[in-house]
Amino acid sequence: MATRIECIFFSEFHPTLGPKITYQVPEEYISRELFDTVQVYIITKPELQNKLITVTAMDKKLIGCPVCIEHKKYSRNALLFNLGFVCDAHTNTCALEPIVKKLSGYLTTLELESGFISNEESKQKLLPIMSTLLEDLNATGACTLPIDDSNTIHLKLIQLRRDPPIVQEYDVPVFAECKDLYIKSQWDLTTQQILPYIDGFRHIQKISAEADVELNLVRIAVQNLLYYGVVTLVSIFQYSNVYCTTPKVQSLIDDKSIQEECLGYVTKQGQKRASLRDVFQLYCGLSPGTTMRDLCSRYSQQLQRVDERRLIQFGLMKCLIRRLQKYPVKVARDERSRLPRLYTGSHSYDEICCKTGISYQELDERLENDPNIVICWK
Amino acid sequence: MLNPLVGSPDDSRSMYRQSQNNFYKSGDKTSPISVILVSSGSRGNKLLFRYPFQRVDECPSSLSAKQRNPYALNVTGDVLEDQDGDSRFSDIILATILATKSDMCGKKFELKIDNVRFVGHPTLLQHSPIIQVSKTDPSPKREMPTMILFNVVFALRANADPSVICCMHNLSRRIAIALQHEERRCQYLTREAKLMLAVQDEITTMTETDGGPQSPFRQILPKCKLARDLKEAYDSLCTTGVMRLHINSWLEVSFCLPHKIHRIGGNYIPPEALERSLKAIRPYHALLLLESDKALLSELPLDCSPAMVRLIKTCSAVKNLQQLAQDADLALLQIFQIAAHLVYWGKAIIIYPLCENNVYMLSPHANISLYSPLAEQFAQQFSGHDLPSMLAKFSLPVSLAEFRNPLEAPAQEAQLIQMVVWMLQHRLLIQLHTYVCLLVPPSEDEPGLRDEELPLAARVGGRSLSTPSALSFGSPTSSDDMTLTSPSIENSSAELVPGGDSPLNKRMTETQLTSLSEHERQVILNIPAAQNPEDLRMFARLLHYFRGHHHLEEIMYNENMRRSQLKTLFDKFRSVLVVTNHEDPIISIFQSPMD
Repeated sequence: MATRIECIFFSEFHPTLGPKITYQVPEEYISRELFDTVQVYIITKPELQNKLITVTAMDKKLIGCPVCIEHKKYSRNALLFNLGFVCDAHTNTCALEPIVKKLSGYLTTLELESGFISNEESKQKLLPIMSTLLEDLNATGACTLPIDDSNTIHLKLIQLRRDPPIVQEYDVPVFAECKDLYIKSQWDLTTQQILPYIDGFRHIQKISAEADVELNLVRIAVQNLLYYGVVTLVSIFQYSNVYCTTPKVQSLIDDKSIQEECLGYVTKQGQKRASLRDVFQLYCGLSPGTTMRDLCSRYSQQLQRVDERRLIQFGLMKCLIRRLQKYPVKVARDERSRLPRLYTGSHSYDEICCKTGISYQELDERLENDPNIVICWK
Repeated sequence: MLNPLVGSPDDSRSMYRQSQNNFYKSGDKTSPISVILVSSGSRGNKLLFRYPFQRVDECPSSLSAKQRNPYALNVTGDVLEDQDGDSRFSDIILATILATKSDMCGKKFELKIDNVRFVGHPTLLQHSPIIQVSKTDPSPKREMPTMILFNVVFALRANADPSVICCMHNLSRRIAIALQHEERRCQYLTREAKLMLAVQDEITTMTETDGGPQSPFRQILPKCKLARDLKEAYDSLCTTGVMRLHINSWLEVSFCLPHKIHRIGGNYIPPEALERSLKAIRPYHALLLLESDKALLSELPLDCSPAMVRLIKTCSAVKNLQQLAQDADLALLQIFQIAAHLVYWGKAIIIYPLCENNVYMLSPHANISLYSPLAEQFAQQFSGHDLPSMLAKFSLPVSLAEFRNPLEAPAQEAQLIQMVVWMLQHRLLIQLHTYVCLLVPPSEDEPGLRDEELPLAARVGGRSLSTPSALSFGSPTSSDDMTLTSPSIENSSAELVPGGDSPLNKRMTETQLTSLSEHERQVILNIPAAQNPEDLRMFARLLHYFRGHHHLEEIMYNENMRRSQLKTLFDKFRSVLVVTNHEDPIISIFQSPMD
C-alpha cells in the first residue's frame, strides 16, 4: 500500500506576521482556511516541541515536528519552524513519521551549524529541496539529496509490518518465494549460516544441530525472516501426520492464480503437470482419522504425478489444509504422583518429542496404553 | 455489569496506582489511556476534567520557565516513566490542543502526538436566545451560556487498531449528542463545567498557600455527576467493554466495544468480520444464547422492545430462525435484526440448530488445558464429568447420533445435549458440513484445452444464494417480503415441474446442462446413473450448488430434500464430484477468529 504524499510545506513563525506557510509544494495546496484551523498544531507552544504531531482536518492529514531554537540573535529570541507533509485523510502515515523526525533533525543541525534557515538566501534553497523530496519519495520511496558541499540527506520510507509470532523449535520454515530472489550477502552472518538448511522439511531444532548454531539464535533469525515475509512456518512432516481441509480449500477451484501456483509447485520433477482434479481430490481426501500413509495408499493413482510432501507444504503455506496435533491430557492420577508437567493439554506430541528427545512412535506406545491419559486432537 | 474499580474517593489513590501498574504493564491496545473533557468559550480554553488523575509529583509543568538553566540540556524526549502514557501532557496544553476551532466541530477529531492518539467529536453548543423578561417578572432570568464548544476526548495508544479508534469516536459522538441535548434543555453542561472550574480554582489557591501540589480532579469526582459518568465510561472500557451511562440521570448512553466482548483466546473478532458474518446468516441458522434466558432478561432495560423479550423467551438451540419467527410471531426480518443485535452485544452466537446428524469436532482454538478455568467451570456444572475426557470424545468428528445409547436413561441423553450446548457456548466445538464440487476427469486427447478451461465453479460466477431480503445493518427495507418463509421460487424448481419424461422436463435439463462444456456434458451423460431420467434431472437441477460453497444442509433447506436423497445422488455421481468436510466459513468466525 503506497503512502502518497500530496504536499510538503515549510512553516515558520514570522516576527511580525505570526505563523505562516513560507513554502509549499505544490503551491496553494494548503488553503488559508485549513492553515488557520491547524496552525496551533504546526507552530506550537513550547511543551509540544520536538514531538511528532499528526492532525486530521478537512479531509487532510498533516504530519509535522515543530522545532524551536532559542538564541538572542533571533528577533523574539527564538526561531520556530516546522517542515511537514500533507496526505489524504485516509492514508496510513506511520511510515512517514521517521522521515519527518529525521528531516526536523537535519534542519535543526543545519541551522545551528550554518544558519541555513535564518539566512534568507540559503532558505530559498529549501524550495527545490522540497520539490525533489516530494517527487522522489512518491516515486521510489527513497531520496538522497545533497544540501550543500558537505551535507547530504538520506531518507527512506519503511513500511511497518505486523509483529511475527514466536518461532518454536518444532516449527519448520519454508521459503515463501524462490530462494534465489534473495541476495545472501545482504543478510546477517547467522542467517547466512542457516539459509542452506531451510528446505521446508527441517525443523528449527534440526537446523540448529546441523548448522551448528545455538537454538535461540536460529529462532530469532527465522523470526526475522518471518517478519520480512521471506519464509512462512509449517509443521514437521511425517507419514503418521493427520491433516484436514479448511474452508479456504475451495479457493483452489475459484482462484486461477492459486491453481497455477499449486499445480506448478506440487508436480513431481520431470513429470507432466498434474491435473487440478487429482490435486483437489488429494486435498479433500485429507480428513481427521486419515494419516498420510492412508492417503498414499488410497490415492496412489492421483499421486503418480504429485509429490506428496510438496503437496502438504503448499497446502499448509496457503492455509488450504491444517495439521491436527495430538495433545495428551492426564485426567486421573494417584495422590502420590507428581503433577503432570507436559501432559496437560497445552503441549502437542511434536513439542513433547522435541523437548524430551523421544520418538513419536515411542511416545505413542507409552501413552496409548495409559488409562489415565486421554488424547485430544485439534 | 460489574465495575470492579468503583469505590469511595478515599480508595481511589491506591486503586489508581494498582490499576495504573496493571494497565501500563499489559499495554492493552484496546483500552484507552485516559478520558478528557475540554471546553472553549468566553473564558478561553479550559480542561474541565481528566481521568485517570495525573501523577502530580512527576508533572513536567511543575518545572517553571524561570528555573531554566541556560547550560542545562533539553531532555524532553527521554522520559523514564511510561512512554505511552499521557502524563507528559499538562492540563493547559491539553486544553489548547483539544479545544479546537469551531470549524472542526461536528466531525471526527483525531490528533496524534508521539505515542498518544487523541480521538473525539468536538461539538458546538448553540446559544439559546436571551429571553427578554420584564422588570416586574420575579422568575430568575436565564443566564447566558458562556460555553461555545466542548470535546469529549479519549486518549489511546498510537498503535491502536483503526476499528478501535472508530468505536471510540462513535462513543465520543454519542456522549456529545446527549450532553448537547441536556445543555439545550436545562444547561446541564454549563452547570457541571462551573462546578468543575470552581473546584479547580479552589485547589489552585490552596496549592499556592500550602505549597504542596494536589490534583483538583480528585475533589471534583464526589461533586460532579458528569465527572463520575466519564470515570465510569473509562473504567468500563478498560474492563468489560460494556457501559450504560445515564447523563444527568436522564439520558441513557449505552455502548459496547466489540474488541473486548468478542475475544477468543488472545485474539478478538474484528468488527468488520462480525458484520460480514451477520449479513450472511440464513433462515436455517439458529441463535444460541450465551447466558440463561432469565439472566439475559434481567439485564434488559425496562423500556426494551417486547419483540426482544418474546424472542429471548422462545429462543432455543434446536430451533432455526424461521421456526423462531413462527413461534414468537414475529417477521423473519425482525428476527434477523434482533439476532444480529444480540450477537453484536456478545449475548448470543449463530450456530446451525442442534440435531442428531450434526457432526462436531474440537475447535483448533479450544483451550484444552487441564488447568484452564473452563475445566473448573465444567466440573462444577456437570459433576462427575471432566472436560478433557469429554473433549477427547470430539477429537474425531462425531455426530450426536453416535452418542445415543438405547440402553441409557433419557436423562443421560439430555445431559449430553446440555454439555454440547455448553461447549458450543464456550467456543470449544466447531461443526463440520459436507461440501460438494463438480470436477470432471480431464479428457485424454485434448489435455491442452482442458487445462485452460476454468472449472464450473469459476464459470458460473458469483450468483449468491444468500437471503434475498437484504439485511442491512439496522435499517429495514420496506420493499422486502416480510413474511419470508421459503427462499425465492427461482432457486427451487422442484414443485412446478410435472413428473415423468415430458418434453418440458427434457428441455429444462438440457438448459441447466448448457453451462457445462461439451466434454463435461459427455462425461456426465456417460455415467450409468445418468441413464435414469429422474436422477439426471435432479443432478442438473442441483448443478449450481456444486461449486463447493453450499453445504448439504443448505441444499436440503433450499430444495426441500431429504439427507438420504442427496447422499444417494452424490454416491451415484461420485465419479465427477469431489466431496469434502469442513466448517461453515460464515459462522466459524464465532468459534475461531481469523488471524
